[in-house]
Amino acid sequence: MNFWFAVFRQAGRNLRQTWTSQLMTFLTVSLSVLIFAFFYLIYTNMLGAGDRLSDDLRLIVYLEEEPGTEMKEQLRRKIENFDDVEEIIFISKAMAYERFAAQLGDDSDVLADMPEDFLPASIEVVPLQTLRGYNQIKLFSEYLASLPGTEKVQYGQEWVERFYYFTRLLTIVVLLSGTLLILTATFMVAYTIRLTIMGRRDELELLKLVGATNSYIRTPFLIEGILQGFMGSIIGLSALYGLFRWISLHFAGPGILNLFQFNFFSFQVTLIIVLGSISLCSLGSYSSIRKFLKI
Amino acid sequence: MAENMNSDNTMIEMIKVSRTYKPNITALSDISFSIKTGEMFFLIGRSGAGKTTLLKLICNMEVPTKGLIEVAGHNINQLKGNDLAHLRQKIGVAYQDFKLLSDRTVAENIAISMEVSCKKPRAIKQQVRDLLDQLLLTDKHNTITSELSRGEQQRVALARAVANSPRLILVDEPTGNLDAATTKQVMDLLNRSKQSGATIVIATHDASIYQQSKHRVMELQNGAIHSLTKGA
Ligand SMILES: Nc1ncnc2c1ncn2[C@@H]1O[C@H](COP(=O)(O)OP(=O)(O)OP(=O)(O)O)[C@@H](O)[C@H]1O
Ligand SMILES: [Mg+2]
Repeated sequence: MNFWFAVFRQAGRNLRQTWTSQLMTFLTVSLSVLIFAFFYLIYTNMLGAGDRLSDDLRLIVYLEEEPGTEMKEQLRRKIENFDDVEEIIFISKAMAYERFAAQLGDDSDVLADMPEDFLPASIEVVPLQTLRGYNQIKLFSEYLASLPGTEKVQYGQEWVERFYYFTRLLTIVVLLSGTLLILTATFMVAYTIRLTIMGRRDELELLKLVGATNSYIRTPFLIEGILQGFMGSIIGLSALYGLFRWISLHFAGPGILNLFQFNFFSFQVTLIIVLGSISLCSLGSYSSIRKFLKI
Repeated sequence: MAENMNSDNTMIEMIKVSRTYKPNITALSDISFSIKTGEMFFLIGRSGAGKTTLLKLICNMEVPTKGLIEVAGHNINQLKGNDLAHLRQKIGVAYQDFKLLSDRTVAENIAISMEVSCKKPRAIKQQVRDLLDQLLLTDKHNTITSELSRGEQQRVALARAVANSPRLILVDEPTGNLDAATTKQVMDLLNRSKQSGATIVIATHDASIYQQSKHRVMELQNGAIHSLTKGA
């Protein structure tokens, strides 16, 4: 009880003594958390969108001619040879015509003059959920195109490709901003605590002489680190939440955000970011304590 | 540890202790003596005789080059970490150079030894006021110590040393800058600590404080024991 009272008073003195650099550290930590959380938020939402998109992902193999029953079986075997698939649907020329007519709806009369078999027969291949990577899809489509009797394979190549590269880029950005967070949190905190320790050499020396235990001397600095990590992450995340709300309000409606169903972090993720920031800052203070508070 | 300090009736045991400094300064050589629990013990000698060094050895601020030092039954050079910290909480030291925190108030400086032992804030306040009254410093409670005269700083250092009711009190030159009346206040304070059972070691040049007393006096000369009176 009295120990904690003393330790918190000491931490308060530290904060007061080096408040300018404490403030700088606090702002840096907040900003790093903000930057990291910002990209991470986009990243998780992109992944979510990617999941939803790949639910709909199917490869359409256009065939040169309507396959017979025998041929269908052969093709099915060939496709499954490459990889298990979720589903294989054969679309005959007639079915393709019906679908197209249905899509046109009221305008379907433009088809009146067309022969019912003007659309090619095709196979819709729904790949397994596990076959998500862009390269795998690409390989699969190349394989399908190489099958005899196929004309071409379509799966929205360009779209998938862009999406894939964008996610890759985001992964890198998230990693970079994560590294930035780690560096700033640990180094800035370590630096300010070093500053405090240097500024109070005499006092720390005296504390040892009058019998202060290690924990009595060290705990205030650890508290400082924990506080920096906690405050920094709370402020950083709050700022991000504010930004998120603002964007949601101003870009509401049938825009890209709705398409992506932009969500904020779940409670668990928020907690993990806060705890992560706290541990990083504690680590920073601990390293300074280890280096400059030899007891 | 605290029980140990009371039950054992030898507080300080020094056997063949030497301390040399580089390159070849012999501050202390072959010092052997012991001090009983509850004793008041005077350490005298010319400037440079080794009084301060001896006190520093007792509180483990310095380590001996050779020899054994036991305080309250513990070999003080083998104590580490929290054991050392807890023993030090029971030792009050008034340093010759005071070691006051110059940017803190008198009250904060005196409180520090009690804070470290996690005493209750209210008890700390009370004790600080009592000590300031006894040392005629009542009005200096909130003064920053760098603004005090040397004699005042000396008394603050002493107040800090005795504040936590230590079992062993080491005082280095407690009266060097004081007039006769204030010196008497200081000695009264130390005598009260002795009466409540503390062991007290005083290094001094001030013959007035030991000449008429019946306590033992040890004189150092060039780092060796020159004489050790029997006491009464
Ligand atoms: N850290 C040190 N490095 C080198 N020599 C030292 C050190 N501390 C003390 N000495 C030497 O040890 C000797 C004893 O010093 P000490 O401070 O113990 O004397 P003292 O009896 O307390 O003197 P005074 O009455 O002036 O305070 C002196 O010659 C001093 O120069
Ligand atoms: Mg001295």
